[in-house]
Amino acid sequence: MTSAPGTDFAHLHVASAYSTHYGVTLPEALAEQAAAQGASFLAVTDRDGLYGAVKHMRACVAAGIRAGLGAELAVHDQEYRSLGRVVVLAHGNTEGRGYGALCRAVSAAHGGAAHGGAGQRSAITTGSTGPSISRDRLADLAGLASLTVLLGPDSDVGLAISRRDNTDAAARLAHWQRALPAQSVVLEIVCHLAESGTVGSVTPATRMLALAENAGLPAVLSNAVRYGTPEEAVTADLADAARFLLPLAELETPQTNGQAWLKPAGAMRQVARMVVDAGLHDTGALERLLRDTEQLADRCSLDPTLDIGLGRPRMPEARIIGVTGDPVTELWRRAKSGIADLYSMSGSRAVEAAHAQLAHEMKTVEHLGFASYFLTVSRVADIIRGMGIRIQARGSGVGSVLNYALRTSSVEPIANGLLWERFLSPERQTLPDIDIDVESARRHDIYREVFRAFGSDRVSLMSMTNAYRGRGAVRDAGLALGLPDAQINVIAKQMWRFNARDFRRALEEKPELEALATEVRESQQLDLLVDLTAKLDRLPRHISVHPCGVILSDASLLDRTPVQASGMGLPMSQYDKHDMDPMGLIKLDILGVRMQSAMAHAVEEHHRLTGESIDLDRVPLDDPKTFELIRSTRTLGIFQIESPGQMELVGKLQPEVFNDLTVEISLFRPGPMKNNMPLKYLQARHGEVAPDYIHPRFELILRETNGVVIFHEQVMRLFDELTGCGLGKADVFRRHLGKPEQLPEIEEYVRERALARGFSAAVIDQVWTVLAGFGSFGFAKAHGAAFALPTYQSAWLKTHYPAAFLAGLLTHDPGMWPKDLIVAEARVLGVPVLPLDVQSSALDYRVEDLADGSQGIRLALPELVGSTETERARIAQHQPFGSLQDFRDRVHPRRRTFEALARVGALDTFIGYDRSRRHELLAHIQSLRGTAVVIRADQLAFEVELPVPRYSGDRAGAITSLELRGRTQTDLELLDLNLAVSTHQMKRFHALFKELGVTPASELGNLPGGTEVLLAGVRRATNTPPMRGGRRVVFISLDDGTGPVSNVVFFHDAQERVGGQVFQTNYMLVRGRTRRSGARGVSVTGENIWNLFDVARQVKERHAVERAAAEEAASAAAYAAELAVQTQVSTTHFSEVPGGILHHLRAAESA
Amino acid sequence: MPHIIDAPVDVELSADGDPRAFIWNRFEHTVIGQPQAVFKRTRWWEDKGTPTRIDTELWRLDASRGDEEQHRYDLRRGTDGSWVLALDWG
Repeated sequence: MTSAPGTDFAHLHVASAYSTHYGVTLPEALAEQAAAQGASFLAVTDRDGLYGAVKHMRACVAAGIRAGLGAELAVHDQEYRSLGRVVVLAHGNTEGRGYGALCRAVSAAHGGAAHGGAGQRSAITTGSTGPSISRDRLADLAGLASLTVLLGPDSDVGLAISRRDNTDAAARLAHWQRALPAQSVVLEIVCHLAESGTVGSVTPATRMLALAENAGLPAVLSNAVRYGTPEEAVTADLADAARFLLPLAELETPQTNGQAWLKPAGAMRQVARMVVDAGLHDTGALERLLRDTEQLADRCSLDPTLDIGLGRPRMPEARIIGVTGDPVTELWRRAKSGIADLYSMSGSRAVEAAHAQLAHEMKTVEHLGFASYFLTVSRVADIIRGMGIRIQARGSGVGSVLNYALRTSSVEPIANGLLWERFLSPERQTLPDIDIDVESARRHDIYREVFRAFGSDRVSLMSMTNAYRGRGAVRDAGLALGLPDAQINVIAKQMWRFNARDFRRALEEKPELEALATEVRESQQLDLLVDLTAKLDRLPRHISVHPCGVILSDASLLDRTPVQASGMGLPMSQYDKHDMDPMGLIKLDILGVRMQSAMAHAVEEHHRLTGESIDLDRVPLDDPKTFELIRSTRTLGIFQIESPGQMELVGKLQPEVFNDLTVEISLFRPGPMKNNMPLKYLQARHGEVAPDYIHPRFELILRETNGVVIFHEQVMRLFDELTGCGLGKADVFRRHLGKPEQLPEIEEYVRERALARGFSAAVIDQVWTVLAGFGSFGFAKAHGAAFALPTYQSAWLKTHYPAAFLAGLLTHDPGMWPKDLIVAEARVLGVPVLPLDVQSSALDYRVEDLADGSQGIRLALPELVGSTETERARIAQHQPFGSLQDFRDRVHPRRRTFEALARVGALDTFIGYDRSRRHELLAHIQSLRGTAVVIRADQLAFEVELPVPRYSGDRAGAITSLELRGRTQTDLELLDLNLAVSTHQMKRFHALFKELGVTPASELGNLPGGTEVLLAGVRRATNTPPMRGGRRVVFISLDDGTGPVSNVVFFHDAQERVGGQVFQTNYMLVRGRTRRSGARGVSVTGENIWNLFDVARQVKERHAVERAAAEEAASAAAYAAELAVQTQVSTTHFSEVPGGILHHLRAAESA
Repeated sequence: MPHIIDAPVDVELSADGDPRAFIWNRFEHTVIGQPQAVFKRTRWWEDKGTPTRIDTELWRLDASRGDEEQHRYDLRRGTDGSWVLALDWG
């Protein structure tokens, strides 16, 4: 395996960039460099973990070199005293024993999350809060010749050496030798050729070598690598500054020099010679050092398949998923019974088709050996459903009859025209991927239940690596240079819409960065900042728990992935999503979707009030009223189609059947939008152009989208029809369409086969243009259909149970719109939102039956700004209350909460709901005095004398609070709830709107296209959706309190005219022109914006002027009349007329 | 006391990459024994421009001119590979 002597040196101690804020070179670059330098081996030993391990293994396979894995770990003794940091290396050719021990050592260092002690740290190290493993545990794991422990300069032995305490060093080394199995301790010689007397000089290195000789232990040479090339030492300096959160100039222990790079063999031999030469060593010491290094590398070379299990999927054991016999037989049985259940209503032909499709799918499943996978996923789905939680599969797995029959997915694939091969085929090299959407509010409960059901040795959460982006990079670079925070902030705010790597080019090209570019030209420090920012860009920064990834495996999981505690306490793998497939780890995406929680809440509320149970998954998908609501574009709150752009598209498209929703959702994606697909589709749909199926043989494929290719499934079918390649192969072609270099090869194949299959050259030309233009655009119909289901379900709820649905929306806040707008929508739908009331407000929004037979929604307690969870819980627990004193005794609110409740009217119950007396109540509460006392649940409250004074009789003598004076209920609600529920905040402007001739949002739909209109309101949303041509389009949604919203679109020219106001003004008056979108939809093309407050002030001023003028005119007229009388009497008095009269007359004239 | 020389010199390297000899004032100085390299870090953030190295490379070695008494010298190598005789330690 070794290459020519002299060019091969095995680096055993290397931190990759996945040692965040420490290493700065990506594993791929390190492996390539090592191979290019003639090395045949490279280890990566990240700090505290195996973060870069999988990437390293794959990079080494790609570079054709052997790979080693290890981790640099802190170690402590039985008394929790630090033993410094050591490198733990896994031994190869042990059938995974070495790698497994390494994984468990890393997990143990992270507090033994691996042993089910979720989040509990078993080790507390002195002077350090980071991960650390006990030496005893490490010794256990090193047994059976699994691991080698390198004691280098940062170990307790090395630290003793650097203190020149050779006796202590020898004693400590002896301790290590006693504690660890024989032959697992090796000394590590590191020399960075630093100045004498500093860390990394030859002196401690040569003494370490002598120690090894005296102890009869092998010593290996390493370079404690932190970067590939000397140029990257600068980046490592930045990493140090970021790690210690200090400017470079203030670092106590900056790296001694820039020599911790991946040196080639010649340079390492040079180092070895200098180390040996600097001390007195046995003859042959140099060669022995290099030989021992090479031998350890041989021992630590890991076989990607046998040691790591790369590419070998492992499913949970059959008994764990409740299977006793053969998984394939069991899968057949369950799938067949599922089909019998689910298709029984659809007629015998549908049943037959489903069985045929199942047989087709099962062939692939058996061939690939994935039966356990499907059983596992369906087991998880069963667990979730068993918890009474809503579940919805998403992604290409929805295209499978098998998943439908197992009830993993709830969308029927055959009638929806979905394809199994988009999900799985023998041609697909990767593990299948099924995503499951669940109620967001229950996601953590689900994780815990899955851990319980499968056992924590088979389950782990997945992590994700967060990399530096522009702003983070410029902040950390600025920190390193010691730039003032304020200055960095100003620059960081401008770091968007370009890569930090291209910072310098962006400065040259982007006009909006002109001012910064000038500063950079004038400042040496800023100039440096630009380069340093670019260096940090894209480097891994930290890992965190992935928002939805759950890894499921067999009991070997913790031998194959290291885990550490996640923020929520459950163990999290150190591997990210890119590592899953190569490691054969089955990942399930269990994603929390707020809309699912909102719908579940609506169903619960309906059940609570009526006792009726709604099964949303069995609601008929052809309800006319539901489609009527969708076509009206009043889609606020409906899943996926509530944004202004979607409202417009829905209006144009006018969906009539479920499939229309799938199409609509699939069209509203960046790819199709950029490709102008919506327009093409709408023209064909509404008969403006005839659908072009190119060839009769394509009609069946393209009919559902009127000849426009939208779905991946259609592209696959076209390939299959053209070439007869089969759908599995067709999916491979489809994925390659996005790679321009692959196109010629595919084209040649398609042309040849299509000609042979009877298509004319002209037809082939035409269809190839479509396919090639499709590129990687488009959308899997399976995704679209999976989204369309909750879209339909939420629309159905809004149509039939608006109060319950809106209560769900207000509780779980799933959409893009602020709650104000949902409240406004409720008002329009005739569902009043009832004020906060301590007698009836709950922890969530509840539906209340009103006296008149209608329903209202009661505001929830959490909306009260500044209240605490414990206070709210006590209110909910103890309501209703007999009196104010009863309330105070049982709730013990803090003063702030107490007053806020009174102010906003939540205590009006105690004054007979007489709002005019609220000021007395508030004044009384404010006048209460007492000392703070600690009560249950560590809650501060104040102990006071009550009885409540009787608010009756002499009103004049009653106390009062001025806090309410001049404030409307809306003002108070905005103050204490951030939400106006009694009346709309725009109501005070309505007189102004009328005077200005503003068109109410509710009237907008009645105007013909091209009408010039004035609109006004408060900004509720700003969208900049992807647009064809790449020019930015800004949608502003205005709420004036009359209807849902009016959507104003500002195109490029209007944006230039309006300037920053398009983003900055929140209360605005807009002039624009209506644009019809379909039968019902209308939007407005904005031309200009004014600040509503400015307009209101100007109008007020004009009114004042007019009033004054009118008054003056009136008095002037009186004067004139008087004068007329006087002149008749005598003209001589004219000169005595006060000078003001002329002025008055002129004023009267101008008036 | 070391003498500051600061003169550019030509350096001949061995196959291992160590300086074997240098030519100063037209005379060849032969290196005796194992020369030691020392890399000293810089406070690069105080200088203009972004550095390609954060340290300077110095070689401390013993050398003699012909049969003369050997001296200890510091040679400095620039990032461009050029050499400067920095110090003569005597």
